Amino acid sequence: MMYKQASYDEPLLREIKSGTSYRFPSVESETAEIPKKLLRRELNLPSVAEYDVARHFTRLAEMNYSVDNGIYPLGSCTMKYNPKFADEIAANPLFRDVHPMRPESTIQGNLRIMYELQEYLREISDMDAVSLQPLAGAHGEFTGMRIVRKYFEDRGENRTEVIIPDSAHGTNPASATMAGFDVVEVPSNEKGMVDLDALDAAMSDRTAALMITNPNTLGIFEENIVEIARKIHEAGGLLYYDGANLNAILGITSPGLMGFDIVHFNLHKTFATPHGGGGPGSGPVGVKKFLSGYLPSPVVRFDGRRYSLVDSGNESIGAMATHYGSFLVVLRAWAYIRYMGSNGLRHASERAVLNTNYLEHLISGIYRPSHPAPKKHEMVVSATSAGKRASDIAKFILDNGMHPPTIYFPLIVHEALMIEVTESASKSDLDRYADVLLKAAKEDEESIKQRPSNTHRRRLDEVRAARQLVLRW
Amino acid sequence: MLEILGKHSTDDLFSDIPEEIRKKDFKISGGLSEYELLNYASETAELNRADGFSNFLGCGTYDRIVPSIVDHVLSKTEFLTSYTPYQAEISQGMLQALFEYQSVMSDLLEMDVTNSSMYDGFTALGEAVRMAHRINGKKKVLYPENIYRRKMSVMENYAHGLGIEFEPYGFEEKSGFIDLADISEKIDDGTSAIIVENPNSYGILDENVTQIEEMKRNALLIAYVDPVSLGVIKPPGSYGADIAVAEGQQLGLHQNFGGPFLGIFSFRKEYVRRSPGRLIGKTVDADGRDSYVMTLQVREQHIRRQKAMSNICSNQALMAVAALTYLATVGSEGIRNVAGQTIIKSKALRRELSSIPNVDASLFSGTSFSDVPVRIDVERERLNDLLLRKRIFGGIPADDLLLHAGGKMSSAYFFSVTEKTTNEDLRKLKEALEEVV
Repeated sequence: MMYKQASYDEPLLREIKSGTSYRFPSVESETAEIPKKLLRRELNLPSVAEYDVARHFTRLAEMNYSVDNGIYPLGSCTMKYNPKFADEIAANPLFRDVHPMRPESTIQGNLRIMYELQEYLREISDMDAVSLQPLAGAHGEFTGMRIVRKYFEDRGENRTEVIIPDSAHGTNPASATMAGFDVVEVPSNEKGMVDLDALDAAMSDRTAALMITNPNTLGIFEENIVEIARKIHEAGGLLYYDGANLNAILGITSPGLMGFDIVHFNLHKTFATPHGGGGPGSGPVGVKKFLSGYLPSPVVRFDGRRYSLVDSGNESIGAMATHYGSFLVVLRAWAYIRYMGSNGLRHASERAVLNTNYLEHLISGIYRPSHPAPKKHEMVVSATSAGKRASDIAKFILDNGMHPPTIYFPLIVHEALMIEVTESASKSDLDRYADVLLKAAKEDEESIKQRPSNTHRRRLDEVRAARQLVLRW
Repeated sequence: MLEILGKHSTDDLFSDIPEEIRKKDFKISGGLSEYELLNYASETAELNRADGFSNFLGCGTYDRIVPSIVDHVLSKTEFLTSYTPYQAEISQGMLQALFEYQSVMSDLLEMDVTNSSMYDGFTALGEAVRMAHRINGKKKVLYPENIYRRKMSVMENYAHGLGIEFEPYGFEEKSGFIDLADISEKIDDGTSAIIVENPNSYGILDENVTQIEEMKRNALLIAYVDPVSLGVIKPPGSYGADIAVAEGQQLGLHQNFGGPFLGIFSFRKEYVRRSPGRLIGKTVDADGRDSYVMTLQVREQHIRRQKAMSNICSNQALMAVAALTYLATVGSEGIRNVAGQTIIKSKALRRELSSIPNVDASLFSGTSFSDVPVRIDVERERLNDLLLRKRIFGGIPADDLLLHAGGKMSSAYFFSVTEKTTNEDLRKLKEALEEVV
């Protein structure tokens, strides 16, 4: 059951010199007339036979852990299983080999997919309108902040600040800053929730929005969310929902019911699309009715007979991406939601939360949870409570053939281990994971510093990587 | 597990969620079996069926040959279903692949450094404008007046928060090249960056692009290039680009209905600490063996928060692997061949269509790459109907596509070629246009 990484001293592609074997259709007798001033003299790409390309990437793949290799409990990343039916659907050339500017009558299938996903996301979030255009979660946040900015500009209000809890994902303050806002950080209280007094103190007539995720990055549901929404709205601000943690609440509650005005979804987390070693993601944005005209254009409408691409409204912030979004990711998320149905989605959230609480139960004797509140989709423990450093625990887990949690985040917990097991873990997976965590706590200091040793590479010199930058061959 | 936790039901796990915000009805659908889902998806896909069409649509998204091995590599589950390589020891495969991507792309663009990907070409350009401002603190950005509307809009969204002022420069009427005198007049000490495109938004390989370097003063040169053209055309690094960006869709990705795409982002090495996005660096492990790891993360949002160089987190890693696989498979000769055929075919298109009365496919004396603007004196609806009836995709109106499409470009429509375009396609297009005018 334990992942054992392959180990090859695989050369860089440039060092493999078997000679290009790929053939394009034969060139016409004519030669291309290239403007002399622009003629390129030299080009040295790798020269590799296809069989060596195949072997190279096969060997690299065998040195890479993935969701299909085992449990992958990175906190806030929602690394759930990616169902294979979505791969099959996304590979259909009728969906895939379509130019985005084909006439509408010839893309009704793709527009139907987009329209149905817009509708599903509306229903899941209780928002009124959705744009599928943003290309990742952070891009959705940035889109949301652009909407906030334009909304207040149009109203002639000079609101320059965005309030963000100190437990927030780093993308939140970065996105608000990119849109030109000043960030006002509010601390969490002893329960791991937003400190209401601090929030009051942070609010003013400069407040444009509060960005928050709920449950938060500690896996805790903000019990005062309704109160928080009321306060922000009374102060004339907007409420932004970071959807990274949506997997905790599908069908149970929703950003719309909590009072949010803008929300982004992470299709590559909550809706099971594969993360591709870092991307592509997809970060659709949903808004309440009064903001629907601000969404990026175009969006998909349906008149009962035909699907069409239309401008979202006169107030639109315009374009956020080259075309309509990450369509193949949208398509996979559509397939997942359609397959799961309402009950399936709700069960996924219930199971994810159950799994988290079960794992917490197993390890909390040694690893003290950051806060006692009940957990939702994830939990944060401090490695210090087990007498260890978070990085050492992580490397011990690697040696035991599993993927470590997110470490050193959120920043408000010392030596944080942020664990999100998702619904794609059986009881025995969780028992085994807990077992490894408990063993890690018992390992003596000298040995744990030597971890990992079962992997293809031992601990890497990250300081050297940053000091002696080598970013290419 | 519920029992072990001392809970009666899963509802107990959600007792902290106030009753007033509980979801009362949740009505998506009952869910489907896999078999039913696959059938429904296939039926939906059929609504896109368009057999026997000749495809002249391009303008940023191209129908190029994708070697079979590219999709094969992307479907490797260890690449497809892994996360960002935070735990480097068990992510050496992806890390090495991304290091190779950075290397091969830097070679293709002749730039010092390439990051491990941005979302798409347009957002990469937006980030480039932000990066130029971070480097020199200046606010004026010169851009080509014929830039695509959506590209401009994305760039404005990215730059809005910095208070950047955009000023357009024009093009020579006859050649379709950048108007150097116009740029020279508009550059001043407050200029942060000059954006050039090659090929430019008229689809013309811009022979004046190489002369911007000597007139740019303290401004940065941002080049937006077509990566396939670089098989035969001078790379941005050779004409002084400080930042080079590109849309990588053509390098092994299908048209994908507009996404996922690949944002290529390269720059001079002295600017590395001001750059956005993830970088993979080479280092050694505890035994001194070559290894790869994400580096300079201190520039990124998860550490630096509001002081980060960008908010980007998820990128297009898998698409970077596609581009790497494509370039490694076709090699220098292959990419030269594809670029050369594109030039040959756009020339043939210009020649064929210009023989039709009331049609002008040679609006500029400069050489076309993929996209050819064609002036056709006919109402848009009639042209669209006819093309559809004749089973031809193409004819993107310049008015819709370009921010500024006056003069020669009014009533122009874009028709694009790739190495897939056949003589038969060209004949079909010619016959159709003969009928309409």
